[in-house]
Amino acid sequence: MDYKEGWLLIKKVFPILDETYNLCQLEDIIFYKYEFVKAVDCMKQLNVSKHIFNLIVIKIEQRLRDEVAPEFWSYFKHNEHENKGFKQFYNAVKSLYDSYRQLHNAILQLEMLKQATDIDVTMYNEDSLDDALKLILKSTLLSQLHLDYQLVVTNFYEAALKMEDVDVIKDGVCIICSQESLHCNCMHLFQETNRKLGQMALLEPLVGQTLTNLIYGYIHGHIQKTCKDSFDSSFINILEKWLQDIVLHWLNNIYFHDCDSLIQESLNALEKKLINFLYNSYTKIRIDQLFNIIIEYPESLPALEDLRLCLPRTDLKPVLTKKLQKAMETRLLHPGVSTPDVLTAYVAAIRSLRVLDPTGLLLETVTQPFHQYLRSREDTVRCVVTSLTEEGPNDLAEELVRFEAVPVDENTTVDEDVENWKSWVPDPIDAIPSKTSSRRTFDIISMLVNVYGSKELFVNEYRTLLANRLLTQCLCDTEKEIRYLELLKLRFGDSQLHYCEVMLKDVADSKRINQHIKQDPEYNEEEIPVSAMIVSAQFWPAFKEEKLELHGKVREQISKYISAFETLKGSRTLCWKDHLGFVDLEVELADKTLSLSVSPVHASIIMHFQDKSTWELEELSKIMQCPSTVLRRKIGFWQCHGIIVETSKDVFCIQDDFENKSVNVQEDIFVEDYEAESAMASAQDQREEELQTFWSYIVGMLMNLDTLPLERIHQMLKMFAFQGPTIECNIQELKVFLDRKVREHQLIYSNGYYKLPK
Amino acid sequence: MAQNVNPFLELQTDAAKQSNDSKKGSNDNHAVTKRLHNELMTLMMNQDKGISAFPEGENFFKWIGTIIGPKDSAYESLKFKLSLDFPHSYPYTAPQVKFITPCFHPNVDNGGNICLDILKDKWSALYDVRTILLSIQILLGEPNIDSPLNALAASKWQKQEEYKKYVIDAYKEA
Repeated sequence: MDYKEGWLLIKKVFPILDETYNLCQLEDIIFYKYEFVKAVDCMKQLNVSKHIFNLIVIKIEQRLRDEVAPEFWSYFKHNEHENKGFKQFYNAVKSLYDSYRQLHNAILQLEMLKQATDIDVTMYNEDSLDDALKLILKSTLLSQLHLDYQLVVTNFYEAALKMEDVDVIKDGVCIICSQESLHCNCMHLFQETNRKLGQMALLEPLVGQTLTNLIYGYIHGHIQKTCKDSFDSSFINILEKWLQDIVLHWLNNIYFHDCDSLIQESLNALEKKLINFLYNSYTKIRIDQLFNIIIEYPESLPALEDLRLCLPRTDLKPVLTKKLQKAMETRLLHPGVSTPDVLTAYVAAIRSLRVLDPTGLLLETVTQPFHQYLRSREDTVRCVVTSLTEEGPNDLAEELVRFEAVPVDENTTVDEDVENWKSWVPDPIDAIPSKTSSRRTFDIISMLVNVYGSKELFVNEYRTLLANRLLTQCLCDTEKEIRYLELLKLRFGDSQLHYCEVMLKDVADSKRINQHIKQDPEYNEEEIPVSAMIVSAQFWPAFKEEKLELHGKVREQISKYISAFETLKGSRTLCWKDHLGFVDLEVELADKTLSLSVSPVHASIIMHFQDKSTWELEELSKIMQCPSTVLRRKIGFWQCHGIIVETSKDVFCIQDDFENKSVNVQEDIFVEDYEAESAMASAQDQREEELQTFWSYIVGMLMNLDTLPLERIHQMLKMFAFQGPTIECNIQELKVFLDRKVREHQLIYSNGYYKLPK
Repeated sequence: MAQNVNPFLELQTDAAKQSNDSKKGSNDNHAVTKRLHNELMTLMMNQDKGISAFPEGENFFKWIGTIIGPKDSAYESLKFKLSLDFPHSYPYTAPQVKFITPCFHPNVDNGGNICLDILKDKWSALYDVRTILLSIQILLGEPNIDSPLNALAASKWQKQEEYKKYVIDAYKEA
C-alpha cells in the first residue's frame, strides 16, 4: 500500500482531515469499523501513526480557531433589543454545542486510534483527550473574546433572573418573549443553554465573572428599590429571605449543570459572600440615609434597629461616624439653619444614636461638632431655655418633665455597677480614653447644659427669660412659672435658682401690696389707676435704661402711690422705671373707641396730644426727654392707627375730623409693631460692664509697669483678673477694647506697646 | 564633685528633694496667693488717687508700686516707683519695700531702703499693700527727722526751697 492510497483511507476514516468538509457535514459521514482497522494497519505499516495523531490534533485546533470560535462570536454582534440578547446567546451556545459534538466525535476516534496503536501521547498534560478538547475550546474562545460579549451575557442572565424574581413579572407576561408565561418556554431554553455550557465546561469560564457582577448589581438595585426613603419598617429579614429564595436558588439551578466537583464548595463560599454583600450594601444605604433617619425619629425606629443589627456584621462603623458627621456639617451646622432646628435635630440625634449604640460612644463622637457649633451660636442658651419652659408639644419640655431628677453636675461620678461586673465590657477601641463609660449619659438636658460646661450660664439665661416674661405678662399666671422653676430646681439645685425664686416671690408680693394700697382710705385713684410691680433690684437682671418723662397726671398719681407705699412699708421707698411696664388705655374718637395696651412712651405721647392737638417734634421731644428720632418712630404707632397725622414736616396733629377718613390710614408709614424688645439690659451692655472691670486692672498694670504689649496685657489679665468661667475675654476682643480706649485718648499705642497718657 | 559618686543617684536624690520642697511651698503659697489676689482686686476696684501697685510679671510675689508725691510737699506730682517683695510667710512677715526711683528723703537711703516702723517692728498682718503705700506717701510729706537714714536730707528739711532742689535733682537722675 503506497502513501497515497493510505492517505485516502485515513482521510476517509478521519474526515476531519479532509478540508473540503465543513463541520456540519461531518455528521453525515458514516463510520465503519473495518475501515478504521484497515487504516490503523496502514498507519502501522507506514509507521506514521504518531504523525497522523498529531495532525488530527492540529486539525481540530485549526477548526476551532477558524470555524467554531468565529461562528460563536458572530452571534454577539451588537444588538439594541434586550430580548434579542436572550435569543442571541441561546443561539450562539446552540451552534457552539453542535460543533462541539462533532469535535467530540473526532476526539472519540482519536481515543480509539490511541488505543489501537499504543502510541504514547498526551495532549496538554490532560488525562483524557476529552478534557484536552474542552481546554482547547475554552482557550480558543477566550482568545477571540468579543467586545459585546459581556453585555449579551449580562442581558441573558438578567432577563432570566428577572423571570425568577416573581415580584418583577407583571401581568403574567414573560419579559423575554412577551408571551404569556404559560406558553413561554424561555425558562426551558435558559436551562438548556446552561446544560450545554455545563457539558462543555464553559459555564464558569465564560459566564462566571459576568454572572457574579450581575448578581452583585442586582442585589444592590433590589435593596435600593426596596428601602428607598422608607424608614418605617424593618427590611433586613425580608432581604435575606429574598436572597435565599430567589437569587441563591436561581444560582444553584444554573450551576447544577456544571460537572466540576469543586463547584458546590465554591458555591457555598459565594453564598456567604453574597450574604455579606447584602448586609454591606444595606448598611451603606442606611448610612447614607442616616441623617434623614435621625430627623424622622421615632418613625424611623425600624430602620435604626436594622442598622444596629447590621453594624456588628460589617465593619462600617467608622464610615458611619464619618458620613454622619459630614452630613451634619453640610446639612445642619451652618448659618442657614435656625437654632431651634439645630436643637431639634440634636435631640433627635441623641435619641436615635441611643438606639444605635447603647454605650453612648458613637453619640459622643458624632455630637462633638454639634457641641462646638452650638457653643458658637449666641442664641443657643436662650433657645434651650425657651423650649424647656415653653408650652405645647416640645421635646425638651417633655424631657424636663419626664426625666427623673439627675442633678446636672459636671463632675458626677456614678459608682461602678458592682453587681453586674460580669457583664462589663471594655470600651471599644475608638473610645476617647479620658472618659470612662460610666460617665456617659443620655440625659439630653444635661448634655445640652454641658455643651457650655457651666450651668451658671443656663441659669442666668433662664433668669433673664423669666424676668422678661414676668414683666411682659405682668402679674398673671405665676403658677406655671413656679412649676417650671420647681422642675428646674430638681436639676440645677436650689442655690442656683434662688434668684428666680425671689423674682417669683416679688411678683406675688407686688400683687398683695397693690391690693393693700388700693384698700388704703388715704390713697385715692381718680383718673389713672396705678399698679406697681415691685422688684428687688439685687435679684433681678439689669434693666435696660432709657430716659422718659411721663405725663404730669401720671407722675402725680405715681407720687401718691409712693407715699401710700411708704406709709405701708415704712423706711422704704419705690424707685420707678418709667419706661417699663405697660398702659391699658381707651382712645375715644368721634365714631369709635379703641382699647389698647401700649408701652408708657406711646401712652405719654397720646396723653400729650390730649392736652394739645398740635405738637412739634422737637418740642415734644424736650418735654418727654426722649430723642426725636425715637419719638418719631413711636408716633408712627399712632399714625398707623390713624389718630395722629403729620401735617407738615415735624409737626404732628391729632386727627379730629373724620370726614376725610379715607386719607387717614397711612399705610406707608413704617411702624415697628410691638417691637419684641426685651426689658432687660442687652448682653452687650452687660459685657461693657465686665470690660470696665478689666479696664481698672489695665490702668493698674500700666501705671506700674509703664508699657506693655497686647499679649502681655492679656496674659496678665488672665492671671490676675479673670475669675469664674463667664468673665473672659479673648485676645481679639481685648484688642478691640484697647483700640477704642486709644481712640478715646485714654491710652497711647506705639510700637506695639500700650501705655497711659501722661 | 568627687568622681566616685554615682552621678545618677545624686541627681535623683536632688530631684526628690526639690519636688518635696516645692510641694511644701505650694501648699503654703496657695493661701498667700489668694490673699495677694484679693489685695490686688480691692486695689484695682477702688483706685486711690496717687497710689497703685501691680504684680511685675508672672510672679505674684513681686509687685511694682507707684506713689505720686503728696500735695503741698516738695514731692508734689513726682511719680515714684517702688518694688514690693512679698515673703512666703506674708502677711505674717512684712514685705520688703524699696524705692526704685531715687528719692531724696531723710528716711530713705541711697539704695532706696525705707525706714518705716510698720515695715519693721510695727508690722501687723492687718496691714496690706494699700496701707503700706499710703503710709509711704504720708511719710514723704512728713519725714521722721529724729532717726534719719539720710543725714543730708534731714539737715536740709528745714529749708524747704533748698530741699526741693535736692529732691528734684535726685529725681532727675533717674
